[in-house]
Amino acid sequence: MEGRNGPRRFRLKRGIYLLAGLFLAGAALVSMVGEARAEGDALQAGEYVITGVLLDPQGQPVEAAGVKAVSEGSDEALAEGESHSDGSWSLALSALPGDGLQIVVERPHFVDWTYALDQEDLQSLERSGAISLGEIELTRKVSAGFWAAAAVFLAVLLLIGFERLHNTTAALAGLSAVFVISYVGGIFNPDWYILNFERALTYINWEVIFLVMAMMIVIAIIERTGVFKWMAFQAYRLSRGHSWLLVLILMLITAVASALLDNFTTMLLMTPISIQIGLALGINPLALIIPEVLASNVGGISTLIGTPTNILIGAYAGIGFSDFLVNQTVGVVLALVVMGAYVLFHYRSEWRKHSGGISEALYSRLEENARMEDPGSLWKAGLVFVLVLVGFVLGERYHIIPAVPALIGATVLMVWLKPDVHAMIQAVDWTTLVFFMALFIVVGAVQEVGMIGMAADWMGRLIGGNLVLAVFVIVFGVGTLSVAIANIPLTASLLPIIEFLSGSIPGANSKVLYYALSMGAAMGGNGLLIGAEANLVTAGITEQADMPISFQEFLKVGLPVTYLTLAVGFLWLLIHF
Amino acid sequence: MITILCPTRGGEPSYPNQDRAAAIAKERKARLIFLYVSDVEFLNRTASPIVVDVAKELDEMGEFLLAMAQERAGKVGVKAEAIVRRGPFREVLQEVIEEFDAGVLILGSSEEGVGVTTRAYLEDLSREISEESGVEVILLHQGEVITTIKA
Repeated sequence: MEGRNGPRRFRLKRGIYLLAGLFLAGAALVSMVGEARAEGDALQAGEYVITGVLLDPQGQPVEAAGVKAVSEGSDEALAEGESHSDGSWSLALSALPGDGLQIVVERPHFVDWTYALDQEDLQSLERSGAISLGEIELTRKVSAGFWAAAAVFLAVLLLIGFERLHNTTAALAGLSAVFVISYVGGIFNPDWYILNFERALTYINWEVIFLVMAMMIVIAIIERTGVFKWMAFQAYRLSRGHSWLLVLILMLITAVASALLDNFTTMLLMTPISIQIGLALGINPLALIIPEVLASNVGGISTLIGTPTNILIGAYAGIGFSDFLVNQTVGVVLALVVMGAYVLFHYRSEWRKHSGGISEALYSRLEENARMEDPGSLWKAGLVFVLVLVGFVLGERYHIIPAVPALIGATVLMVWLKPDVHAMIQAVDWTTLVFFMALFIVVGAVQEVGMIGMAADWMGRLIGGNLVLAVFVIVFGVGTLSVAIANIPLTASLLPIIEFLSGSIPGANSKVLYYALSMGAAMGGNGLLIGAEANLVTAGITEQADMPISFQEFLKVGLPVTYLTLAVGFLWLLIHF
Repeated sequence: MITILCPTRGGEPSYPNQDRAAAIAKERKARLIFLYVSDVEFLNRTASPIVVDVAKELDEMGEFLLAMAQERAGKVGVKAEAIVRRGPFREVLQEVIEEFDAGVLILGSSEEGVGVTTRAYLEDLSREISEESGVEVILLHQGEVITTIKA
């Protein structure tokens, strides 16, 4: 039975990967074709050209609005077009009607806008062949679709927050609900319409998807060499039984590993070896592991690829690898220093314990467990990884998005090191990529109906024009929300709000609010055991060694560390910007 | 010679139970096997990518934890064996009992209110296992015998 089922299961898995890959490529293609078609519309030549720019009440461009020119008293369109991503539109007419001309703008979730060109406009158009109607602010319409999209978004957040469904399933359920409401509800009442499939695809950030995918392959190859486990063992040797020193070195290793790779994978590897080291030292291994996970959540803030939220922020706001490094690293180091001091104080009774060492046999086994798996591959993988980082930095100068060097690096590693291709394809976690895609669409739905815009308006009024208050509210507000709410959906939904605030608050064009979001989202993950995936997976592993991390135990150290590091991060942003 | 099977997760809370298992093995002149079962089911609840072989890492950790248990048993003159297995605890336990023809099963509960191996869970499990495989089950808490269930 096993023999017959094995290949079938393998073919099934391969089929799933192939389908997922095809879906990815197909969706990207449809998205690109849509954009190309929209551009083509604007290129049509005409004798009389009318142009304009559509904006929403927050001053953001309105994309994909239908614009048509009709003669007065008639519904028949003389020319039709669609607004582009910058809100601009143009209509080309071969002749001007004698009985007056009207421009009609229609867009779901906005009140229809009609403008009748007066005699002066028509004369100007006839004389010069072109006229611009300038910036047109459309009025939002709160329809049934608005409330439906808001309810779906909230339901997805709750399902993820309370772990009622797997993150990916919850996001897919939300995505399906949006389509059912739009397509089925929209038939009976157009007010229920939220967005269609083609429009939904435009909300998927392909840069994020491809960067995450490529980095998964790179990380898989580097992490499999076991270099960080080996470093943990070297730290154990170097600390010579001084557990207070060991915990500081382990925190540094996890912070650096998290910044360069990712904190989740780092903790998967560091937790088992840290349990062994802790037991070997005769201290409670949780006194090493909890500080490690806290450091891993903060360490990732300093680079573009260190946290999924930084990848989202970087792709949305055009913040590059070196921008994160330059603007965040000192703040992160200061936060780690404060964190280190706190955990040394919190676990002070543990540092006084000492077992008197372990036997030769146990030491040898520990050394064996911490060995590098494939030292031959390490230098090659390390070299390619450094080149990818250089590619990130150079890419900022030559306008190459980070996903490109990451994809090239992943390919070079696969060609050079010849790892098992199937294992590498399996290393790409498709559930995560599908989660991101579905989440982008669910967040896109609330953006489409104007909920995000209203929230931005509300926040703008609350904060006024005070940049310091804005940084404070974002660092501590997002940090507090991230304590209990999954920070990826939170960040994805806050990005348009941060964009609005960055454009409206004097001095915020330095992108300081995006950095505040980055710090709040990552540092908040330390507040509770459920605050970050790395916390949960670490607890899952320690449970396997009869050392469960209780909710209260994590809270006692995690919550003070969260607010201490948020305060340090806030002060750093104030000083630096 | 009777075989005593003692599943353990190896952390400090397990030490008194491991010591008691060794003492029972010495008293009954029995063969003692420490068992570590890793189960990566908890990874299914995460959305983050799993790019490393976590089961292998847990196996290595299990081997180290059991080596410590073996050393503790060795200090009271008992030469214990150690085996590491993967899968759901209940199923693996049943398999290992049959494979090694274990006559006694020693289960230890962890701290009350923390973790999954609570006393209530282990009492239910002990009864089920004893009924199904006919083994004698000794339930320990912090090294003290709480219940003995004989088929």
